Amino acid sequence: MSEPLDLSLRGQAAAIAGGEVDPAELLEAALGRIAERNPALNAVVETFPERSREMLAAAPEGPLHGVPVVVKDEWPLPWRAQRFGAADMLASPAPGESGPYRALRDAGAVIVGVGNMHELGASSTGSISVYGPARNPWNTERCPGGSSSGPAAAVAARLVAGAVGADGIGSIRYPAAYCGLTGLKPTFGRSAMAGHHMADVSTTIVSGPLCADAGDCRLLASALFGEELREGEPRGLRIGVIRADISEDVAPAVREACEAAIEDLRRETGGEVREIELPELPAATLATVLIANSESLGGITPERLNHLDPELSPIGRGLLKYRVLLPAVATVKSQQVRAIARRTLAAVFEGVDVIAWPTVPAVAPPLEAPIVELPSGTLTADEANVRGGALANLTGIPAVSVPVGSAEGLPVALQLQAAWGRDELLLDAAEAIERANGRRWVEATPPPARGAEALEA
Amino acid sequence: MEGSTSADDFIPAGLAAYGIEADEIELAVIRAAHQTFWPPILELLALDTSQAPAEPSPDLSQAPPSR
Repeated sequence: MSEPLDLSLRGQAAAIAGGEVDPAELLEAALGRIAERNPALNAVVETFPERSREMLAAAPEGPLHGVPVVVKDEWPLPWRAQRFGAADMLASPAPGESGPYRALRDAGAVIVGVGNMHELGASSTGSISVYGPARNPWNTERCPGGSSSGPAAAVAARLVAGAVGADGIGSIRYPAAYCGLTGLKPTFGRSAMAGHHMADVSTTIVSGPLCADAGDCRLLASALFGEELREGEPRGLRIGVIRADISEDVAPAVREACEAAIEDLRRETGGEVREIELPELPAATLATVLIANSESLGGITPERLNHLDPELSPIGRGLLKYRVLLPAVATVKSQQVRAIARRTLAAVFEGVDVIAWPTVPAVAPPLEAPIVELPSGTLTADEANVRGGALANLTGIPAVSVPVGSAEGLPVALQLQAAWGRDELLLDAAEAIERANGRRWVEATPPPARGAEALEA
Repeated sequence: MEGSTSADDFIPAGLAAYGIEADEIELAVIRAAHQTFWPPILELLALDTSQAPAEPSPDLSQAPPSR
């Protein structure tokens, strides 16, 4: 058997269940690997070995019994309040049993560490954090993606085989894309959300898994959903594509890899590609940003904004204050755009099963300057990435990011979106792509996952 | 559409109206954000949504109810 930590999430679960791997040894190995590899990555911001050992000692014989996982710094744990990657998150965080914690505990998993994240969840890059940024295992000078930066970097570097993130505007899918992982943004309301500091007000945020492949996402998502996501066999899949900026204003290598993956998916499922139109997409993107930003304003007072923790980044402080200036009428209009977009999507999904476009239009940009070059010109990575990620959060539909190629030594990813509640279909389709390309991209590993020598080379 | 050049007035006046203080760096961040967001916000406001379907308190876990 290869190193147990290098097994897939379901491989680890099966090996423990079959008595081939001692979960206590696996936990110590994970802690050891974090100690060894994490300093170069800053993916995991805190471990708590005694708590993890206690969790293992009490773990039920669930589907993830004894399997180490990481959770994003957005979810409270009974022994640790979330920090949201920030020196000041405006809310008053407190330790507690968040939904993902309960789901993992009840499935028998062991939380081995907390994953880094972009400050206040406010970027697709992961370039700013109170802990310092996490680094992309494929190239530590590049962005890991955000805001679930640490969970993605931790899984990509094989510190653990699975991690739980959160996705308010693409925050699972962007880091999955940048780090070469599979990341699922579930249908709104389907995955565990209790305990999140915005659980009662957010209409965009969901918890979800980041893993190497779709099979592992299926296992971890089943725990988060509290129901088994059954495997299916997509046949005659109708794949919707859009001939517009979202698919065409992308780096040439990304476009080529995504088009090849769409063709792989069509061929593997005996399906067909259909052109669709989503004329509301640009307005929907802005609407998502406005809604998500206004939903976090409830607890803010001018007085509080005048007393932000000075350790909060200047960008974080400035953006928080700017939110107050956003006109309410634009948020109202955004809700109308949401209604239009939902109705349009409902009609589109009568004619196609999935919609496919690149998760992000370019590979991970440098941490020092998160900008990307597209055919239309130079954009900040956030401006470019939000175009592909926002629609699912606005409308509630599920989406998955699937690794489908490589450019500049960095991963390239395709996003698939499906109708409400069809999360299983997305994982089936992702597995069809994996089969079609011989699992080449889900099994590709970055230098840190190949051992210390590679890190030094 | 005109309007995006009024940031120099709008930002300090808006913050002052709320009694919110901002240092020079924060103001630079806010100006950059405004430059990015304001033109599309104006486009959004100009959209005719009078025919938009009403979906108050939508159930985002499901498709919208058919009309």
